[in-house]
Amino acid sequence: MTTLHPDNIMEGKLQSSSKVIVITCNWNAYSGLETAGTERLTYSSSVHPIKVMCLGQISPGIILKAFEKGANGVLMLGCPPGECQFEFGNRRAEEIYKEVKELVALLGYREEQFKLDWIAAREGQTFVDVVGNFVDGLNGSANNDA
Amino acid sequence: MMPEMKEFIDQNRVWYCLDCGKCGAVCPITRYERRDFASPRLLIEKAIHGHTDDVMDDALFWSCLTCKRCSELCPSDVYFSEFLRDTRTLARSFDCSGDCTHSEMVQTWGKIMSDADQKQNRLNWLTDDLQVSEDSDTVYFVGCLPYYDTAFKKMDVEGVEIAQAAVRILNHLGIEPQVLADERCCGHDQLWEGDQETFRTLGQINIENLKESGAKKIITTCPECARTLKIDYPQFIENHGLEVLHLVEFLAAQEFNGDTHLKAAVTYQDACNLGRHLGVYDAPRQIMDDLGFELVEMSRTRNAALCCGTSCWTACGQVSKSIQVERLKEAKATGAETLVTSCIKCQIHFKCAQNDPILGDEIDIEIRDLTTLIADSLMEHG
Repeated sequence: MTTLHPDNIMEGKLQSSSKVIVITCNWNAYSGLETAGTERLTYSSSVHPIKVMCLGQISPGIILKAFEKGANGVLMLGCPPGECQFEFGNRRAEEIYKEVKELVALLGYREEQFKLDWIAAREGQTFVDVVGNFVDGLNGSANNDA
Repeated sequence: MMPEMKEFIDQNRVWYCLDCGKCGAVCPITRYERRDFASPRLLIEKAIHGHTDDVMDDALFWSCLTCKRCSELCPSDVYFSEFLRDTRTLARSFDCSGDCTHSEMVQTWGKIMSDADQKQNRLNWLTDDLQVSEDSDTVYFVGCLPYYDTAFKKMDVEGVEIAQAAVRILNHLGIEPQVLADERCCGHDQLWEGDQETFRTLGQINIENLKESGAKKIITTCPECARTLKIDYPQFIENHGLEVLHLVEFLAAQEFNGDTHLKAAVTYQDACNLGRHLGVYDAPRQIMDDLGFELVEMSRTRNAALCCGTSCWTACGQVSKSIQVERLKEAKATGAETLVTSCIKCQIHFKCAQNDPILGDEIDIEIRDLTTLIADSLMEHG
C-alpha cells in the first residue's frame, strides 16, 4: 500500500521526463481539472496533478521533496478566497505558500517555479489557462537550475 | 552476528559494557519513553547477543538524542552515541529510517544542497552595515540559519539575527570575515541519522569551497556545524587542516573591555554538541561574566546538562516534549529572566514547547542565543 510518505508521493509522479507538479484541492481546483477533461480541453502533458483533500494540509517538506526529486515547477491550486470547503484551508495554504516561497528562493529556484493560484469549481477553461501560463512561465525563462 | 554489527561493536567499545545501568539512570529517553522500556544498556545487550533486528526495533534506536549524557557516566567508556550513529547506517541499508519531523523538510533541503550544481541564494541577510571580505583568512560558516529563520519564523526564532550578530561581533574586533555563497548544510543530521552518502557529498562540497576560499580559520555559531567540521569531516571525509571554532571559543580568547555594570540574571543551556561533544563549558560562561551578566546555573549543568529533547529532526513527540518542559521548568526555577543557548536548535525546540497553551506561565521564560546577546551588549557599551 502506498503511504502518504513524501518520498512515495513524489517518486511515482516524477519518473517520467515531464516534471511539473500541480497540487489541487479535492473541491474547487480539482473540479476545474475534471471539467477541463469533460469539455475535452487540453493542457501540457508535462503536468502531473496530485489531488489532496485540502491545499491547507500540504506541508512545506512535501513541496521541497518535489523539487528534490527533480520537478521543474510546483503549482498549488486551491479554492478561491471565501469558498474553502474547510473554511480556513486556503488561508492556511497561503501561509504555507509564503513560507515555502522563501525557502525555494533560498535554495536558488526562480520565482516562476513555485506559484499558488485559485480556481473556482467547474471552471475548466480557467484551469487550462492557469496551468498553461505556469508551464509557459517555466519554459519562458531559460537555464533552469533545478 | 552480522559482520558489520561486529565491526561497530568492536569500534565503539561496546564489548566493555558492564551492564551497570548508569546510562539508563541519566538517559532522558529512558525516563520518558512509555511504549517500551528503552535504555542504552538494554540496546547494547541486544547488540552483543547478535539480535540485530531487535536492536533496530528498539524504542531508543531512532530516538536516541546522541546527547552523550550516558557517556559521561559510563565506567567502561562505551561510545554509545557513536555506536548508534554507525548502526543507523546499517539500518538505512535495510531501508529503515526514523520518523522525520516537518515532512522531512530539513533533510530535503540538505538533499537539494547535495547537488553540486545547485546555486543557492542564501546571503540576503547581509545588510549594508556588515563588513565582509573575500580575502579574509577567517570564514564565518553560517550553516542553515537563513533556512531555519524562514521555516520557524512563526515561533519568533532568532535565525539570521544570529548570523548578523556574529558578523557584527567580528567586525567589532576588527575582523571582516568571509561568508560563502555556495556553503552547504554541514551534514550533521544526515551523519547521525545514518545517511552517510548525503553527509559525505555535502562535506566534500563544503571542504572544496572552504579550501578554495583560502581560509585558515572557520568560525561557526552552531555547535553542530562546529563539531561536524572539526571532528567528523577529518574522520570521515578529508583532513582539511583548517582550524574550526565555535564563536564562543574564539571570543573567550579575545579581551573584552568588561562592562562591570551588572545586567540581568541569565541561565545557560549547554548545547550537547558544544558541551559534551566538544568540551566547551567555560568559554560561554566567561564571556557572559565579562559582559556583566549574572549567571544563575540550573541544577543540572555543564556535562550533566539536559538535552533540549530532539535531535536530527527525528522522533519528536511526547518524549521530546516532556524533556523540553522539564528543562524549561528547571530554567524557570533559577529565577533568571533569560535562558541563553548557544545553538539555534535548542532555541527552536524550547520555543516550540512554549507554545503549549496549558503550561503557559510555568515554562514561560525569554530565550536568547548567546551570539545576539553578546552583540547587543557590545553595541550598547561600545
